[in-house]
Amino acid sequence: MSAAPAAIRCEGVTKAFGTRKAVDDLSLELPRGAFLSVFGPNGAGKTTLLRMIATLTRPSAGRIEVEGVDAKEEPDRAREAIGLISHNPMLYPDLTAEENLLLYARLYGVRDPGARVIELLDAVGLKHRRLDRVRTFSRGMTQRVSIARALVNDPAVVLLDEPYSGLDPHAIEVFDDLIASVRQDRTFVMVSHDLEKGLRLADHVLVMARGRAVAFDPKDELDEDEFRALYRSTVGMGVA
Amino acid sequence: MAPEGKSPRLPEAGQWPDRVAPAALVAGIVLTTVGFLMAFLWVPPVGGASVGGAELIGDAMVSQKLLLSQKIFYFHMPVAITSFIALVFGAWYSLRFLRTREARYDTCARIALEITLLFIALTMITGEMWTRFEWGVWWSWEPRLTTYLVLMLVVIAYFVLRGSVDEPERRAAFSAVVAIIAFIDAPICFMVTRLIPSSIHPVVLREGGMSPEMGLCVAVVAAGMLCVAFALYRARFRQVRLAQRVEALKEELGD
Amino acid sequence: MAEREKQERARRSDAPASPRSELCARPSALEQYRVLLMKDLRQELRTKEMLVSMGIYALLVIVVFGVALSFARPGADFLEVSGGLLWALVVFTSLLGLNRSFSHETENGCLEGLLLAPLDRGVVFLAKATSNLAFLAIVEVIAVPLYWVFFSSFAAPAASAPLIVVPLLLGSVGIAGIGTLLSTITASTRGKDVMLALLFVPVVFPLLYACVSATTAALAGGVLMEEAFATSLALAAGYDVVMLLASWVLYDFVVS
Repeated sequence: MSAAPAAIRCEGVTKAFGTRKAVDDLSLELPRGAFLSVFGPNGAGKTTLLRMIATLTRPSAGRIEVEGVDAKEEPDRAREAIGLISHNPMLYPDLTAEENLLLYARLYGVRDPGARVIELLDAVGLKHRRLDRVRTFSRGMTQRVSIARALVNDPAVVLLDEPYSGLDPHAIEVFDDLIASVRQDRTFVMVSHDLEKGLRLADHVLVMARGRAVAFDPKDELDEDEFRALYRSTVGMGVA
Repeated sequence: MAPEGKSPRLPEAGQWPDRVAPAALVAGIVLTTVGFLMAFLWVPPVGGASVGGAELIGDAMVSQKLLLSQKIFYFHMPVAITSFIALVFGAWYSLRFLRTREARYDTCARIALEITLLFIALTMITGEMWTRFEWGVWWSWEPRLTTYLVLMLVVIAYFVLRGSVDEPERRAAFSAVVAIIAFIDAPICFMVTRLIPSSIHPVVLREGGMSPEMGLCVAVVAAGMLCVAFALYRARFRQVRLAQRVEALKEELGD
Repeated sequence: MAEREKQERARRSDAPASPRSELCARPSALEQYRVLLMKDLRQELRTKEMLVSMGIYALLVIVVFGVALSFARPGADFLEVSGGLLWALVVFTSLLGLNRSFSHETENGCLEGLLLAPLDRGVVFLAKATSNLAFLAIVEVIAVPLYWVFFSSFAAPAASAPLIVVPLLLGSVGIAGIGTLLSTITASTRGKDVMLALLFVPVVFPLLYACVSATTAALAGGVLMEEAFATSLALAAGYDVVMLLASWVLYDFVVS
């Protein structure tokens, strides 16, 4: 066993349908505990990449490893290590916050679902609303429950897909604090349009355009101004 | 932008089947024509698939008629066979698609189902002519006709479904599943309508074995129809693939 | 507690690379099935959205039948039609329910949430099909007696009438099975309501035919009962087995 397998390793990952390539021969290796921000114009394949890591989409070619598990061959084992927060809350509006989380906790086989759910609701500051239906929650509160949902299986890798869309500034602040508090030694991958926020949180950045990796660097090796210029020129390339 | 020969993996078209296609078309036309001539000039009219004696169907009294309309049979049955074979191919390509996720098979399946629909429509028209002229009713819920009606509806639904999903890969997966379901559904439908005795409609279609002449004639026309279907399939496939090539090239140039 | 720790250690030694958190155990498929099913039932019990709309719709269809039959002469002939009408009622009501049942899953992207869990797609299918079957059964329990109340004056059914429970059950199982697959497909298409009907009616045709035959046989009794009942049921059961298997296998391709 080699020492500490990477949290996420992509080798020649390609997602193609016909001649259209959403992600084209992308390779990267992300160490444990890193925070990767993925940037790029619309249609660059960011979300497709994230969905492939999340095992929701199978790559057409190449290999993805999550915590040393081949996501294509053993998706169920990889899934146990993954949590996804997206702009879609993935919560049943007519169930209470607690019921929603209990549902997911049981699907993941959490040993003590009741305690885990209370602990998580407490962490996101919604313990007092646990018996209310999700339908009655504000967008920001729903997103907080959604964070709890993604963490229910105590994942080593957390994926964030445009988590800020639809949140007001205050909710964004709360969201950021929460992410910081659950950071621990987890690995994060975030897809976002927000360059500033993405740069501030990240320690690794990936810029994609037309399915390919234009740049992949640890942030401290990065000249921020140069990066901004690169980012602008990439986004300027527009939709593929 | 992409270097020559490396990136542009264009949808190919025009391998050997395309060269065979024109020959197949000619052969198909010849065979079908020969079959027709045989049907009218050579095969003696027999009551293979008509009512024995006199029976009441709908409101019309139908008796043993040896009309020219019987010749529809020599057209009807081969198209029906061809449409089912096209469906088998459609289902097969759909299965291949689900296993490989290659866009090529989706195109194949779609075109096979287009051919299926065309031949089902021909089957329905000829079947309709048959019921009208032979049995004197516009429609009879006879097992084969019913099966083909149901099949036609599923295939139509297949194309409506294709039209209402935007994402290409999802569209391909959904329609592949529907094509396979259609393929499973058709035989069940035939068995069910055949095996359950209906109290309302008499079983009009008797198992009258075909005479050797009839069998030969049907076989010749069926072979001709299959050739025509194959040629149509290849022509359409070529057309679609070339269109996809143009799209792909446009995209390359856009880069 | 010690027992658990021992298990934990054993698990770690044979699978050193397992990324599963210590908080979790290997989830069992049966438990997941139960959880998913309970989720659907609880949601429905809370909103009663589907049951109420299906129930009212069934009543409305019965009213329309009442109008359609208002000039028919009562008599034994009615029994030959009534099986078919009953099934028209079931098919239209189930179409409504199937359309609804999947909209919950797509509304907030919940289906994706489920697919993220280490969960066999077949389990998702079975749970959804079971809950659809449960709702259909509840509606039938209400609608069939109603149908009888409104139309029993036309003709008295044969003594074998209670046997219609069997084709109803077989039919509902098939409808729930193939309906779950098709409604999953149509849930993410444009114009999904029409789309579902377009796919569902022809695909379910053989089952419908067999069930109508069996129901009519049970209602009319006599020779028809002896002739057609068993064959029809066998065919309906065959359809159920084939289509459930096909749906179960194909479901994976539909959701991912």
